[in-house]
Amino acid sequence: MSLDLVDVSIRLRERVLVPPLSAHIAAGEVLAVMGESGAGKSSLLAWIAGLLEPPFEASGRIMLDGDDVTDAPVETRRIGLLFQDDLLFPHMSVIDNLLFALPAGPRRPRVERAEEALARAGLAGFARRRPAQLSGGQRARVSLLRAMLAGPRALLLDEPFSRLDAARREQMRAFVWAELAANAVPAVLVTHDRADVPRGARLVELPPVAGGDDA
Amino acid sequence: MRAGARRAIAVCAAAVYALPLVAALAIAMVEGGRVDAWRRLTSDPQVPPALLLSVGTALASTLLALLLALVLVTHLHGNRAWRLFGRTLGPMLAVPHAAFAIGFALLVMPAGLIARLIAPIAGWDAPPHWPTVHDPWGIGLVTVLVLKETPFLLWNLTALLARPDVDAAVHRQLAIGRTLGYSAEQVWWRVVWPQWLPRLAWPLAAVLAYGLTVVDLALIIGPTSPPTLAVLAWQALLDAGATRNAEGAAAAVALVIALLALVALGAWSMRGWKYVAAVRARRGERAVRWPLGARLVRSGAIALPAVYLVVVGVLAAMSWVGVWRFPALLPQLWTGHAWQQVLAAPRALLDTAVLALGAAAASLVLALAWLEGAPRAWQVRGLPVVMLPLVVPGILLASGAYQIALMARVDGTPSGLLWVHTLVVLPYVVIALAPAWHSFDRRFETTALALGRSRAAFWWRIKLPMLAAPLAAAFAVGFAVSVAQYLPTLFVGAGRFATVTTEAVTLAAGGQRQTAAAWAFAQALLPALGFVLAYAYGLRHAQAFAAAPR
Repeated sequence: MSLDLVDVSIRLRERVLVPPLSAHIAAGEVLAVMGESGAGKSSLLAWIAGLLEPPFEASGRIMLDGDDVTDAPVETRRIGLLFQDDLLFPHMSVIDNLLFALPAGPRRPRVERAEEALARAGLAGFARRRPAQLSGGQRARVSLLRAMLAGPRALLLDEPFSRLDAARREQMRAFVWAELAANAVPAVLVTHDRADVPRGARLVELPPVAGGDDA
Repeated sequence: MRAGARRAIAVCAAAVYALPLVAALAIAMVEGGRVDAWRRLTSDPQVPPALLLSVGTALASTLLALLLALVLVTHLHGNRAWRLFGRTLGPMLAVPHAAFAIGFALLVMPAGLIARLIAPIAGWDAPPHWPTVHDPWGIGLVTVLVLKETPFLLWNLTALLARPDVDAAVHRQLAIGRTLGYSAEQVWWRVVWPQWLPRLAWPLAAVLAYGLTVVDLALIIGPTSPPTLAVLAWQALLDAGATRNAEGAAAAVALVIALLALVALGAWSMRGWKYVAAVRARRGERAVRWPLGARLVRSGAIALPAVYLVVVGVLAAMSWVGVWRFPALLPQLWTGHAWQQVLAAPRALLDTAVLALGAAAASLVLALAWLEGAPRAWQVRGLPVVMLPLVVPGILLASGAYQIALMARVDGTPSGLLWVHTLVVLPYVVIALAPAWHSFDRRFETTALALGRSRAAFWWRIKLPMLAAPLAAAFAVGFAVSVAQYLPTLFVGAGRFATVTTEAVTLAAGGQRQTAAAWAFAQALLPALGFVLAYAYGLRHAQAFAAAPR
């Protein structure tokens, strides 16, 4: 699997937020995009996912495994998204959140896959809990499992560690990079914290926001 | 004013409203609970089919309206079409139920516009034998109820989805669901609706209660032999004989029991539906996209306001029709005869307007006393009592209120009418006013007091002017609700007062098409005037604020 960004650029009305950016991200690799808040990091991810809304505008191409998905609808791209909030569905149990993400198929193997994933994350026995009954760190891990179980061709990470406390953050980073490598998924990470960037990742820094305006 | 005095005023307002209301309902329940009355009711052969009709039309109309509202939101939310469509909700809600039903009946009747449009194709030279009005299965009644309640449910859904917390949550759930490979429609049905729909419990209960117990619409377009149970109760209660009255009272109580059973069924099926939605969400099946369906729904969204436009147009046109031979598309002779009859009865117009102004003003004062004086905890706990007139059968409330009016010797008097109208108008005024009142920034009060001004000065010179637009809107809502009342006017007025609504319903049920159309148009026109004035007033106020130097 690989993700290619070709001359990707994001504008807000007249202002260029992200100047033309090209990158080849191979399976298991991470492209880290750094910049201050309002620099257009989240808009870049929203556009790659297919979720960018006006007044933002974008140009360039997105290629997944050589397919051009620039104009494909969100739900057919198979690009996963992880926010700083876990965004687990509050009215569904942990395992139902995971089953929601898994591709359709016979029941038994799907449940087994979800339970395996939970065990891998040290969450065996939490399957029937509601998200509200989990700690922040546990929820963050379930949220990553949910994104991975959908079988994404690429994963976008929008400051996924910023809401966690320092002790959990290190643990979560290790878990995320291990999952990405194990599943051979290319990833784009946006952050303003250099410590989030894994070793060996390509780093792109966005230009500072004119006037320091927190848009 | 001190908190203690404010609470005292709130308690007074609550007592003025709630005591007679509860007394009226209690009397009606006791009257209708007598054994002999029930013996008569259960031996009446018309009752079982009438009850079946009532339950059937109520269930069918509530489910269809809910389904339609959910499908429309699912496919339109977030589109540009949604904002446009949202703007048509207010005008659709402003059309009174009775006026809409009369216009709709005129549209679909055998000699109506639809039949005339089909006639050249089908080669008809006489009106077809359509049972479209007063059909024995209640299909016409269900259709009118669905068309009228869908905008109401949509309005409630819009208000819910516009709340910042709900809007943000829904937005992000849609994003997550779609990146997991689901279409937006699937995310609505599997994630969003199971989570938020329980918040719609009150409006749904109101729709169900209305469909089960409505009398005026059933008289205009509903089945006649047998009619619905509410109409049977109405006929019996208006009878000169005491035993028939008792039977009517028992029928009203039977409607309460049926309503409770349906609400329990509704709560149970909501749980069942949530379970089914959860099972489906667990299966992980992704959508086969069906763009035709989405396009169909979007055209449906245009069709709903279009139907309202056509219905009001038919009312306007029909009120001027003189001679109109079938199957001609246009009448041969136009006449002002119907409107002459309306204008020959200026008392009805005047009484309607004065009564509505009075009831709206009284409700506004009571609502203000309650919202200002009662602590939030009281308001939350008191909500079921405030909403009571919306969810009890209208026939029960009207007949109970008549008994109270008899005791107080205000039956058939203007003050009796003013009282009962205030009773039914108040819940709507509270609903219209509460959001603005609760979201008012309290720091304005602190600021005014810190500047050394009294609480009274703050209230009169700061708060009321700042909330003038919602006040005007709530007044217009109260005015509209009062204009549309049928049963309370009929019962407590003891038949001595005619309003646009009683005239329109009576004439429509009697088949007087042109005059009924004229009265129905007047019934729709009065509240529309009120809303336009309130809207213009609100605009002027908004401009005044915008023009103020910052």
